[in-house]
Amino acid sequence: MGEKLMCGKPRIFMFDLDGTVTAQETLPIIAKHFNVLDEINDLTRQTIEGRIPFVEGFIRRINVLKRFSVAGVNHALENIKLHKMLVDFINSYPSNCRIVTGNLDCWVASLLAHVSCAAETSKAVVHDDHLESVSSIINKADVVLKYQEVGYQVVFVGEGNNDAEAIRVADIGIAFGAVHWPSASVMQVASHAIFDEGELCRFLRQLL
Amino acid sequence: MSIPKTVVIGCAGVGSRLGLGQTKALIDIHGKPIIQRQLEMLQDIEDVRIVVGFQASEVIKTVLAVRKNVTFVFNHDYFHSKTSASVYLASQNANEHIFTLDGDVIIHPEDMEECLQTAEPFVGVTSVSSEEAVLVETDLDKAIGFSREAGDYEWIGPALLPRDSIHFSPNLHLYEVIEPSLPLKCKVVRSMDIDTMQDYNLALQRFKEWGL
Repeated sequence: MGEKLMCGKPRIFMFDLDGTVTAQETLPIIAKHFNVLDEINDLTRQTIEGRIPFVEGFIRRINVLKRFSVAGVNHALENIKLHKMLVDFINSYPSNCRIVTGNLDCWVASLLAHVSCAAETSKAVVHDDHLESVSSIINKADVVLKYQEVGYQVVFVGEGNNDAEAIRVADIGIAFGAVHWPSASVMQVASHAIFDEGELCRFLRQLL
Repeated sequence: MSIPKTVVIGCAGVGSRLGLGQTKALIDIHGKPIIQRQLEMLQDIEDVRIVVGFQASEVIKTVLAVRKNVTFVFNHDYFHSKTSASVYLASQNANEHIFTLDGDVIIHPEDMEECLQTAEPFVGVTSVSSEEAVLVETDLDKAIGFSREAGDYEWIGPALLPRDSIHFSPNLHLYEVIEPSLPLKCKVVRSMDIDTMQDYNLALQRFKEWGL
């Protein structure tokens, strides 16, 4: 599969979901589907601007959307545009890839069916097709550290505020700006920045 | 036929000697920034990596307006580190040979094409014109030594180097890092770098003389 790394460590490729694997952000699509777009956009903007901390912004957005059917959310995301070349890369090397997303497992289940690799997500308790509660919110940096501790070199690809710490601690941290400009916090700690899907796949192949 | 190589363009520096308050890759040369003129000569190169630091966002936006399929490499410690650090960062996981270029260099397109078609490692030299030049001592068509005191030509950065010859030494200039690799083949390349206002005016003039 390519030259052995000089350090002798195997490499694992981690991808954010929204705006990295997907060519569109999922929350606005879900929100538009259920007619709560303005409310969601307002919370999203405040979170991106750093006026609300990430975890709080996340919980408040979940609270707006939790009353809707989980199957309905999956249905809303059915036709979401994906970065096809990137999905092909992941599906060519599924054991070397992971999706690492703050999104909820129950909401992105049908979306994740498009990728053959394992995923680490935030988790929720679902009862009768509705969200009962959020049971865990992912800490992406902790996922990176977990793999590094058992001997992997980690490549992390993302662009949102909540990717910054993971990108900072990863061995190779790639800011991927194909959907929108990566957040300033990511650009300050990334080792690389790429703004084109084809170029990302080309570069990732050099890392195999 | 050219062999696949990685082209690395160093655009991380502050450009303080020039005094224009901007990183030198963005300097205008008769209507286009230097980095655009360089990219226009690299259209056939698949793996182009641009090292950014000072004014990274501005450099990135300027580049993306010309070409989207590039990889930007961050040198966050651009203020303290020397040019070899940028080249080292960009050469990680690169092709076997790296063609390095500084973002403040203008090169005649014919000589750039000749450089890109060359398979064997070389340093691209030019006639001496800078104040604190890195001078190159040559023997026939080989570069045999670098010096600040004596040499037949000046080296302003273009070179095709084996990736693995570039070690991590952030406090060294690139010529110090590659010195152990000498002798290397030597090519005369019509080029100049822009460190001072005088260089800038000369570059504008030289560009016109080339008929570009």
